[in-house]
Parts: sequence; C-alpha cells; structure tokens
Amino acid sequence: MKSSVEPKSARGTDATALLEKVMPVPHAETEISEGMVLRIERSSIHDGDGFRTVVFLKGCPLRCQWCSTPESMSPAVEHVGTQTYGTVMSVEEVMTEVRKDGIFFFHSGGGMTLSGGEPLAQAGFAAALLRQSQYEAINTAIETGLAVPFRQVEKVIPYLDAVYADLKHIDEDKHRYYCGMDNAIVLDNLRRLDGMAKGIKLVVRMPLVPGINDDNETLHRTGTFLATLDNLHSAQILPYHRLGIDTYRKLGREYLLQAVVTPDPAHVEAAREILRNHVSTVC
Amino acid sequence: MANYMERINALRQQYLHTRVDMDVYNAKFLTEGFKATEGQPWIIQKATGYKHQCEKKNIYIQDHELLVGGAGFKPRAGILCADSSCSILDRELDTISTRTFDPFFLSEDGKKIFKEEVSEYWKNKSLLDRWRALAPDDMETLRDCGMIYIDRKAVRGYGETTPGWDRLLAVGIGGIRKEAEAALAKLDDARVGDLEKMFFLKAEIIACDAIIHLAHRHADLAEKMAGECADPVRKAELETIAAVCRRVPEFPAQSFYEATQSVLFYEYAIYMEQNASSYNLGRIDQYLYPYYKADLDKGVITKEDAQELLDCLWIKVAELSLFQDEVTAQFAAGYCITVQVTAGGIDRFGNDAVNDLSYQVIQATMDVRLKEPNLSIRYNISKNPDSFLRKGIESIRMGLTMPAIYHDDAGIRMLLNKGVPLSEAWDWTPCGCVETNLGGRMKQYTDMADVNMGGVVEMALNDGISRKTGKRVSVSTGDPTTFATFNDFFDAVKTHMRYFVDVVVSGNQLLDYLSMNYRPVPALSLMFPDCIEKGIDYSAGGAKYNCGGGVITVGQADIINSLAAVKYLVYDEKRVTMAELCAALAANFEGYGDIRQMCLDAPKYGNDDIRADWVVGETYTYIIDQFEKYDTKFGKMTMGMLPVSGNTPIGAWVGALPSGRQAWTPLADGIGATGGTDVNGPTALLKSVSRIPHARFTQGTQLNLKIEPSIMSGEKGIAHMINLVKSMCTLDVYHAQFNVVDRGTLIAAQEDPEKYKHLLIRVAGYTAFFVELGKEVQDEIISRTEIGAWN
Repeated sequence: MKSSVEPKSARGTDATALLEKVMPVPHAETEISEGMVLRIERSSIHDGDGFRTVVFLKGCPLRCQWCSTPESMSPAVEHVGTQTYGTVMSVEEVMTEVRKDGIFFFHSGGGMTLSGGEPLAQAGFAAALLRQSQYEAINTAIETGLAVPFRQVEKVIPYLDAVYADLKHIDEDKHRYYCGMDNAIVLDNLRRLDGMAKGIKLVVRMPLVPGINDDNETLHRTGTFLATLDNLHSAQILPYHRLGIDTYRKLGREYLLQAVVTPDPAHVEAAREILRNHVSTVC
Repeated sequence: MANYMERINALRQQYLHTRVDMDVYNAKFLTEGFKATEGQPWIIQKATGYKHQCEKKNIYIQDHELLVGGAGFKPRAGILCADSSCSILDRELDTISTRTFDPFFLSEDGKKIFKEEVSEYWKNKSLLDRWRALAPDDMETLRDCGMIYIDRKAVRGYGETTPGWDRLLAVGIGGIRKEAEAALAKLDDARVGDLEKMFFLKAEIIACDAIIHLAHRHADLAEKMAGECADPVRKAELETIAAVCRRVPEFPAQSFYEATQSVLFYEYAIYMEQNASSYNLGRIDQYLYPYYKADLDKGVITKEDAQELLDCLWIKVAELSLFQDEVTAQFAAGYCITVQVTAGGIDRFGNDAVNDLSYQVIQATMDVRLKEPNLSIRYNISKNPDSFLRKGIESIRMGLTMPAIYHDDAGIRMLLNKGVPLSEAWDWTPCGCVETNLGGRMKQYTDMADVNMGGVVEMALNDGISRKTGKRVSVSTGDPTTFATFNDFFDAVKTHMRYFVDVVVSGNQLLDYLSMNYRPVPALSLMFPDCIEKGIDYSAGGAKYNCGGGVITVGQADIINSLAAVKYLVYDEKRVTMAELCAALAANFEGYGDIRQMCLDAPKYGNDDIRADWVVGETYTYIIDQFEKYDTKFGKMTMGMLPVSGNTPIGAWVGALPSGRQAWTPLADGIGATGGTDVNGPTALLKSVSRIPHARFTQGTQLNLKIEPSIMSGEKGIAHMINLVKSMCTLDVYHAQFNVVDRGTLIAAQEDPEKYKHLLIRVAGYTAFFVELGKEVQDEIISRTEIGAWN
C-alpha cells in the first residue's frame, strides 16, 4: 500500500465520499501480498482469546477523538524524530513473525489478530494474511471499526474465527462529531456481518468515554440495537484510557479530550449492567 | 482466617523481630572436640567436635512453638564452620556486625571467645587456609582479576544436597546406628582397606549419639518448661513436645507430628556440621504423605492440624541464616540458606504424584510468607493436574515469588545426563537455587566456581589482558584487528573458554583433594545408605551417585549480545571496523557515543531474533563440551546457570562490551535478557531462552520472569499463567520463577526499608527480603525489564 494521501479533516463529510477520498484502496478487491504495517505486538491478551500476536495495519478512515493509537490513522509512513511509523511488509514477512508464537497459541487458544488503524482498509492484504493463518491452523481475529464498504468486510469473512467490531457511538450525529464520519455504514455493515456470522465469534465493543457516550440513553439505545443481532456472541465495554496521550505530543497533534477523566471500575460496571438489560453476555 | 493461623502469625512476628546474630559457640565446641582427640583420624576428630556441639550448645524453646530446635545459640544466628573457614572471621571480626551485605551481630563476648578459644587452633589447618596455600598461580590470577570466582566451596562445605528423608523417617537415627554397628562388626582391621572404613563407621556412631542426645536435651527442656508452665494449654503442648523429642529422630516416626519434628532435627543437625546452604527438604509431599494419610485415617489429626505443623516447619527452617564471608555474601546476599522443598512430579511408576499434601505444601508458603524454604513445584505437563499448577500460581500471584516452576521432563533428563538411570531419575528433586538432586543418593558440588562470560569476550578483544587490572590473565590470542572473519574472532573467544575451563578444573581437582581429606561429614553421611554399606564417607564418594564439580556461567546475555554485535556490526553490516570498536571499548565508549549507540541498537538476545539468538546454542554447547572433557574423582565436570546475585560483583571486573554494556556495570541475570533489552514480551523472551541447551546444563538453568500483579488478575489471569507455563514446558525451558512486584513498590521499598521489611523478591534462584539486599542488587532488580506487554 503506497498511498501518500493524507486524510483531511473528516468531520461532517459524507461517509462514502470520505472513503473514496482518504482510503482509495486500489487493490482492495483482490488479495495482495504487501501492506502497510504499523507494528506487530506479541503476547497480547486483550485482543481475542489466549496469547495473540497483533498485527497493526496502518491507516484508518475514522478520527475518533479518544483514539489511543493516533500514529495508526494515516496510511502513509510517518517520521517523528528518529522514530518511523509504518513499514511495508509482505504476507510472508508478517507470517514469519506470527508463526514464532505457535506454541503459545497452541496452549492458550490464541492466534493472530489484525488490528489497526482499520485492517479492512487494506482488505486485500488482510484477507491474504488471514487466509494464510487459517491454512496454518492459526486462530484468526480482527478488530475493526467497520467503516469500510461491505465488499471489504466480505472479503475476510471466510477466514475469520472472531470479529471484534467497534460501535463507537449509537447516535449518528455524535458519531459524526467525535469520529469524523457518521455511523450509518457501520451499523449497516454490522447487520450484514451478523447475517453471515454463523460459526464466527462476533463481539461488539464499545469504548466508554465519560461525558460522550456513557449516558443511560446512549447505553440503552446501544443495547436495543445489539439485541437485534442474531449471532452476537457478546458485548464488551472498554473503559476509556489515556495511554496514547504521549503519542499525540510526539506527533504534534492536539489531544481534544484533555478534560475527560478515566472512568472508575464502578462506573464501567454500571454501564455493563445497563447493556445487560438487552444483551445476555456483557463484559 | 483458619484457627491455626493465630499461632502461625505469632511465630512469624517472633521471627521477623529476631536480630540476625553470629554464633561462635559452635566453633568453640568443635575446637574443643578436635583438641580432645588430637592425633586421631580427622573424621574422628570432626565427629567428636560435632558431639561437643550437640552436648553443649545453648538450646531454647520459643513461645508458640510446636516444632523445636535450632542450629545456633539463638534463633536466626549464623554459625561459623571452623574446620572449613575459620580465618574468614579473623578478618571480619570488627566489621561483621555492620558490613553492607548480610551483617551478623557479634557481641564483645563472642569476639573474645573467637580470639581466645578458636582462631589460633585453625591457622593453616582449616580447609580455606589449605586452599589458599595450595592454590595454583594461574587460578589465583584469573580469580584476582575477576574472571572467575572460585572460593565459595573453600568457605563453606557440602550443601546442595538432599538427605534420604524417607530413610530418616523409616529407620530413625537409632536404627542407622545399629546398621553402622553391624557393618563395623563385619570389618577386620587386619584386612587392607578396612581400617579407614572402621574410622568412618565409628564416626557415624558418634554422630548418631550426638544427634539423639541433642533431641533428648530438648525433651528435657520441654519437660522442665511444662512443669513450670501455668497455662494448661501451653503446658499440654510442651508435654507433647517432650514426648515427640524423646522419640525422634532416634526412632522411626509414628505420626505426622513426629515425622515433621524428626525432619527438622536432622535439618539442623547437618547444618550445624557444615554451615552450608541448601540442605534440601526435597519431595516432602511424597515422604510425609504416608504419615499424613495414616493420621487422617485414624482421626489423630485434621487437615488443619497438618497444615499447622507444616507451617511451623517452614518457619523453623527459615530460622537458619547462612553465614558467609563478605565477598561471598555479595554473590548470594540475603542470609539465604536456600533450602529447597518441592511438590508434584511423578512417582516411581511414572504416574502423577500429586496428592492432598502437595497442595498443603504450597499453602504453607502462602501462610508463612517468608523467604524460606525455597518452594518449587515439579510440574509434569503430561501427568500433573491443572488444579495443582493453579494452586502454585495462586501463591505466585500473592507476590510471594514462589513456587518456582520446573519443567519436570527437563529435570529428569538432567539426571539421566548425570548418569542416573531413568527409574531413579523420575525421583529427581530440585536443589538449592535451581540445581538437580536425588534424595539420599547423590553427592556433588553444584557451584564450585563461576565463570565470567563477559570476561571471556573481553579476553578475545584485548589479547588476554584484563582491562581492569592491565594484567595478562589468559592466553594470547593476538590483535583482534587481525581477525579477518567472524569465525576468527569466535575462535579466539573459544580459545579463552578452553583456558578458563582448564584453570577452573585444576581448582576443582584441588578442592576435591582437600574435601576428601579435610571435609568429612559424618552426620550428613547417615542419610546416604550407600555410605554405610560401602564404609565410605559422603565426602570421599560413598553416595550411590557422584557428580563432578558444577561450574556456573555468569553473563549469558552479555556474551550472546556481544558475539551477535561483533558479527552484525563488524563483519556482516560493516558499520564499524574492529579497530574502531576496540578503541571505543578501551575508552568505555567515552567519545564514542555513536559506536555505543550502534552497539545498543544491534540485535539482542531475549527478543526471539535469530540475528542474536543464532549464537546461543553454539556458544553453550561449546563450553559444556569443554568441561565434559575433564574427568574428576567424582565423574565428569558439570555445569549450570544460576548466578544468584553474582552478576553484580563479577560485572565490576569487566570493561565495556560490544553489547553496549558499559564498564564495571552488572552482567545480565540468570539466563534472561539484559535489563530493558527484551522488548518483545514474555513469549519472545521464552523463545530466546529456549535456545539454550538446558538439559545439558545439569546443575540447572535459572530464569527470572518479572510480572506485574495486574497481569494475573482475575480468572483470566490464572488461565494466562497456566498457558504460559505449559508453553514454557513445551519449549523445553527448564525453570522459571515469577516476580510479581511492580517497579514503584521496589523504589518505595528502597526509600523506606522499614515500611517494606516484609517485601519478598526473587533475587535469582532464591527469595530474599528486598530491604536486606545491598543497594546495587536492589538497583539491578529494579532495572530488569518488566513484562507488562499484556497488561
């Protein structure tokens, strides 16, 4: 992926137009053998079952203000001081790294997780990685914001054991305001994915950001939507954190949520309790 | 809280508030015994001296105690083994109370007794003095330039061993005495060879009498105290203590209570003989189980009663404080006696050996929360249940750093490699820090010398000259700038390895000679049935299996990273010439910041990076191959990787290295990565570590994995740990111990030691109170990479 197009401010623009503009993925239709990788992180336990090797693909159509990996937004290589964010890697190069933890996958039920950025923005590359993993009996998962054309989602479905789909905000306007794009495509993709998710562990995740999406109404609306999904495995609430704040500083970007404080455990549990009114499994 | 915990907490507090003192009285009584038998065989003199100790030492029974006894004149006192190393106290008489590492309080009365009644007698007579007199020049040069550390076994005697505990419990000291008498009766002093055996067996009988006598003195004391006790509950307890001490260890144990007291008495007895570390309790869940089961079946005790006794045993073992000279203490600080006790593994049929007591053994450590005994589990991935591993992880999660976890099959193969048949190798037991042992059957020095692996690299880059002293300490391998290929350089490294190995082995031969002649251990030999059968003391090779001296390599990551950096920077990528690199090293990188940065950026061990890890297997296969070429009185030399905290003092002798490490700083700990360089998380670290040929290092390989408490939180945390351990076993990594302490806590503990006096930390193969460690070691622990990637 060699795109050097910098995403412009996404706030308030039409989703499809934005996708065409910032994520012109020329090879999204077919599997491709190279992609833009931000980094590969081993022995993660928060991105699926067991020990995971998480492959972060660089570039994302969304601009969530709480994003903890701002260096993953741009699909281009970025240089900050001596640090370089982003490197082009082949499927084989990525798999060489992924295979290294095979024994840990075996015992823990772990495997490879594609994350981002938005892994489905590089759907061709993602599909190639997932297909190869499946071929080698390595458990596969993706973490996606689903803000991509459904044909890109469709490409990876055959190779997936689990999907962790984000639903950042159930409210269309708020989603547009805080994530730079409205949520129609996200909700639509989620419904269509649900229809094809038999045999796939489908988990919907919601970041809990105090003052932004933690009110009762938002949580109930979210729960009501989730209850309409047939193949939902579970819902997860991910408490907002500020671990990425130094990266904003490094990148010279403004962190817009300075005033937001991290929610305490009771707060998070209360939100989960609300979702439990609608969905049986919430964690 | 369980009922029994009231007593355990009281005993624990009593322990924590006891000052560590120096005992010179054992030395005084020993010396009296030697003087009384002047001119007789050394072993008779030793046994007689030992008998004097048992007859005259101060004894005590503390409040709340159910199990009694002690090695010193008071609890937690360190004892001097005069026949081993009397002269070390000579030099430290005025400083030992206040020295940095492991101070021992020595009263003016103690000093006087030492000066007037002990010191003079042992001049040029103790093993240490003889060692000094006979030390080969090449060995002294290597030692004095910090390339090897080799005095440890001259300073203290045979530990790192595991008595045949089942024999003690089944036969009793009285029964063993009868065996010795019967064996003696069969000998004929006119037959060649029998005379030496007679000396040995007579010493055995003296030792039996001494140990039984000491137990009876405790029975007398308990009776006397019971008579004076107003509290009816305590009075009854004292009466029970008296009855138990009257029976064991003389007779076979008849109950769980007697079994635990018998074990404790003998543990103290052998410690009094040698002041050595690691008289292991071994597979306690196996040999105590019959007594536990029988008492439960008879309704004599409950599980809680058994737990209380185990907990009491744990606290009483922790009362042993290892006395070492100042230098040795730097290498293994924390008063640690490193008595290893283990649970789990497989039985003699190859089946799962875990029983109810296995869980209670782990619970004992969770109850007492002390640094000793050094708890471990033999985790057999194919046979032991997950619930057992889980129990161990629950203990680790409390921040106790114990149990250490051993991959059982690797331990079994280490025993095979020591020449033990499989049928017995299944019964192996972890020993000391991470060594391997076999209860009642194996004699060895597991760690007679340390080899400075950082120093080996320095030798190749400096033509055999020490940067610290400027002296020639090793052979000349030429100007490194003339090495045309990496292999030329690697060959020079190997040449120095061969030289170091040769010098260390000559030290081992001297140590064996001295030990066989001047270090008999009549009390220890009792629990090695082959000794009495053959009429040969443990020190002379009476045990069923004898192993050649164990040598420890220190600075695994340093040599690996240095070799990798030279190959990568000088020969592969050609970023720097050998001349430039050598100039930078000679200047300790001062004025060569760019070269240091290149060195730091070169591939590093601990990241599952083949550009560094390729050299691991070849380097460590080479050095073990060299040691195994040498035979000794007790078989081929053996090796291990258990640097304890020796990586700090030994690092002070090594200049800058191509790994980017600066001069005189600590080497890497155990078999782990250099602090802060393993950036790919615990799975990558374990993969790198798995490249070491573990099972060939039959004295064990020691890995510290530092883990933040939050990682292990909740049920998922337990599952992650279980999966991590299983993966470790599948990778054939022999051992890991888990430090679940966050960095903030350690720094706070440095600033306010009083507040954190209970804080336990794995130093390396053993557990110590963090605040009792020296600042350098504390800093080293803090600098180790925290494995928080999955947090």
